[in-house]
Amino acid sequence: MTDAVDYPIRMKILIVEDEIKTGEYLKQGLGEAGFIVDLAHNGLDGHHLAMTGDYDLMILDIMLPDVDGWRILKSLREAGKDVPVLFLTARDSVDDRVKGLELGADDYLVKPFAFAELLARVRTLLRRSSVPATEMSLRVADLELDLARHRASRNGKRIHLTAKEFSLLELLVRRQGEVLPRSLIASQVWDMNFDSDTNVIDVAIRRLRGKIDDDFELKLIQTVRGMGYMIDTPDSSG
Amino acid sequence: MKRPISLTYRLTLFFSIAATVVFLAFGWLIERSINEHFAQEDIKELKVIAQAVERALTTRHTNFNQPNSIQQRLDDILIGHHGPLLYIKTPAGEILYRSPGPDLSSITASQNDIQRWRDDHHSYRILTQRFPATNGGNYHVIIAVAIDFHLHFIQEFRHTLWLMVILGIIIMSALSWIAVQQGHRPLRNIVQQISQTRASQLNTRLNPDIVPAELTELAHTFNELLQRMEEAFNRLSNFSADIAHELRTPVTNLMTQTQVALSQARNIEEYQEILYSNIEEYERMAQMIGDMLFLAKADNNLSPLNTEKIDLRAELLNLFDYYEAWAEECRISLRLEGDSHIQGDRLMLRRAFSNLLSNAIRHTPTEQAVAVQLEHSENETIIQVKNPGTAIPDEHLTKLFDRFYRIDPSRQRNGEGAGLGLAIVKSIIEAHGGTIQAHSNQQQTTFRITLPNTSTARNH
Repeated sequence: MTDAVDYPIRMKILIVEDEIKTGEYLKQGLGEAGFIVDLAHNGLDGHHLAMTGDYDLMILDIMLPDVDGWRILKSLREAGKDVPVLFLTARDSVDDRVKGLELGADDYLVKPFAFAELLARVRTLLRRSSVPATEMSLRVADLELDLARHRASRNGKRIHLTAKEFSLLELLVRRQGEVLPRSLIASQVWDMNFDSDTNVIDVAIRRLRGKIDDDFELKLIQTVRGMGYMIDTPDSSG
Repeated sequence: MKRPISLTYRLTLFFSIAATVVFLAFGWLIERSINEHFAQEDIKELKVIAQAVERALTTRHTNFNQPNSIQQRLDDILIGHHGPLLYIKTPAGEILYRSPGPDLSSITASQNDIQRWRDDHHSYRILTQRFPATNGGNYHVIIAVAIDFHLHFIQEFRHTLWLMVILGIIIMSALSWIAVQQGHRPLRNIVQQISQTRASQLNTRLNPDIVPAELTELAHTFNELLQRMEEAFNRLSNFSADIAHELRTPVTNLMTQTQVALSQARNIEEYQEILYSNIEEYERMAQMIGDMLFLAKADNNLSPLNTEKIDLRAELLNLFDYYEAWAEECRISLRLEGDSHIQGDRLMLRRAFSNLLSNAIRHTPTEQAVAVQLEHSENETIIQVKNPGTAIPDEHLTKLFDRFYRIDPSRQRNGEGAGLGLAIVKSIIEAHGGTIQAHSNQQQTTFRITLPNTSTARNH
């Protein structure tokens, strides 16, 4: 699978997760996605690593056997560490969410979550902490998006898209090389923040493909089975 | 907060105070009337003597042949009375008669006066009177009777009386304590019955007919509480059973598939195929868990509504936009009629309408249309989602909103989700204080939602 991203330096991520299997798989998955990953299995180790190491992102489980995630987060923020924190929770209650965000967490995910979703959120957070995007146009291979005029063209040839199709394409292009899970696409393009049991996203992607890929040799939109969709070109991967 | 005084203590104290007051009043009354009675007796005796003395004095001068007879007669009069004393002065101031014993001459009093008098040893009741003499002037007469034995009797009686009063108060207090204990027995019985109610026997009820009238209200209230608890408990246990059942299928699939896969060596493509297939099962399970959590929270009022004004037309057009590609793919058109605004939780209502729309699209035959109608009156907004299709039999209609309910159990695997979609719709609508009903005939199936315009209070 070609899912590496061309960040200038490799980002360091700290995972604090007491569930051994979850922790190991997260470490493996994020490592294979191009990050340098440290894993702590309990709150004290996690806290120590977070205080001493220089991480770009921290993934923090709330329910830990010794010190809970909230206390670690609080202690970090009090010590002036502003590393972005994504917290994982098994209990999806509004209180938990509010508490976490008030304490200075940047995002949260409710278990069980899809790995692709986690990866997408991690990248969003890392991007947020770097430079904001203010381009007027986007480009992948011979596909060009004019953001001001909402126009797409391939190889100079104008492609007519509906507003939502353009938004969908823009999302895929902006995050080229990243697998975007269906739930993230539904939430970003249509503002549907819940899982749907329909194949609406698949249909929308199929129609978009019909417009931008069918007539061209180089297929840009790729299906990553079991995970989602992405735009990628052979030469940008490596 | 300070704990109120115990009922037993309170009632016993009250009864004891009441008994004390009653006994004291009673004792006081008895003592007084006995005193009164003896006083009357004494006065009667004094009056008898006085009459006899008067008679003797008025006839004094008619019996001249017996000069000493007046002394004799007066002596006779005094015989048979209790320690009587008599002192008579003639109008001229001479002492006509004076009984032996204490000297009464010092007593001064007005006409017909009765008083008590005491010398060194004895108590007396005294009557002072003046009788007119035949030759002018008045006899000055003082009569006394001893009342020592009366006073003595009263003293004795008083002792006995107060002893009895104190005893009575003690006995009453003890009795009232026992009575209160007895009176509370039905209460303790009920407490015992209640304490024996276990989660496994929520169907037991207190019998309101065998408790005292004062406690029937309590029994009824407790029974209603049991009723509500039983319903909630049953719902919960059915739900748990459903969850177990629904999870069994995907877990069985996963286990079988994985074990079969491992039973012999395969090439990479086959392994990948198995993992992909597994992911689909996992996703189904994850979604089911998410949906069940949502329902559990809605049932327990754990999701507060973020109420805001919603333009229903815009909201539905946005949903149409979302489902458009899929509907076109199925060659189904989407139509919206009417316009309405409502107060509600945008995300929750969006989820409800989304579930209804996807349900409608899924059951609409090709080349036909799903229609959504918005109507509003002063008090309520009505949203109808209609899709053409085969009629749903009545026995299914009412159960459509039950969790995990599917008209055709075999359709479970056809990407229809876990059968929680309509249950979630109902839960969201009810959280907004609204209702939802399904109707079906040969032409079309209609879901009709009624939402109140003003209040979004939960009605449960």
